[in-house]
Amino acid sequence: MLEIIPLLFGYSIMFFGSLGVIRFPDVYTRLHAATKCDTGGIMGIVFGLMMIMDGPFVVKVKLLFLLVLIALINPMVSHAIARGAYKMGIKPEVKVDMYAWDNP
Amino acid sequence: MAKEDLLVAGIGMLLFTALMAMYRVIAGPTLADRIVGLNTVTTKVVGIIAILAVLWREWYLIDAAIVLLMVNSVSGLILAKYMERRGRNA
Repeated sequence: MLEIIPLLFGYSIMFFGSLGVIRFPDVYTRLHAATKCDTGGIMGIVFGLMMIMDGPFVVKVKLLFLLVLIALINPMVSHAIARGAYKMGIKPEVKVDMYAWDNP
Repeated sequence: MAKEDLLVAGIGMLLFTALMAMYRVIAGPTLADRIVGLNTVTTKVVGIIAILAVLWREWYLIDAAIVLLMVNSVSGLILAKYMERRGRNA
């Protein structure tokens, strides 16, 4: 019964991340909500699946591989999207733009 | 059984959140918003495929989930590079 905890953690994180994708006012804040909640939620769900499944040991290794691959790939893609959006000319709605200090 | 109910409820939850992110894909003001929405939807589909693999005991679907994640990463990087180059030319 212990696998309920990471599964429900992942579902709730997914729901609030999608709420942030709808409600936030800017590209960068939407990206923050989307990628952080997606990475955490999917890692929780796959960890819960690793605990809940009863199959061969190789499949558990495959799920662990999926977990590590998500933790590597998802922040990389979000970083690239934020960099491309800033270079395309979308300004963030902030008072102080510290990225513009370093890259004039 | 409680286990299958938990997994089926998770599939419904992930589909609902994918619809919520699909609103951002349709109504996003800029190109970057649509790319963020597509990235989110694809990650949720990876989760749905992994849950289906455990629910149906069809273990080859986990390979499909891994391949979909890799394709998502490549498409995201290419779209990010496209945005960067379009900003430089404009």
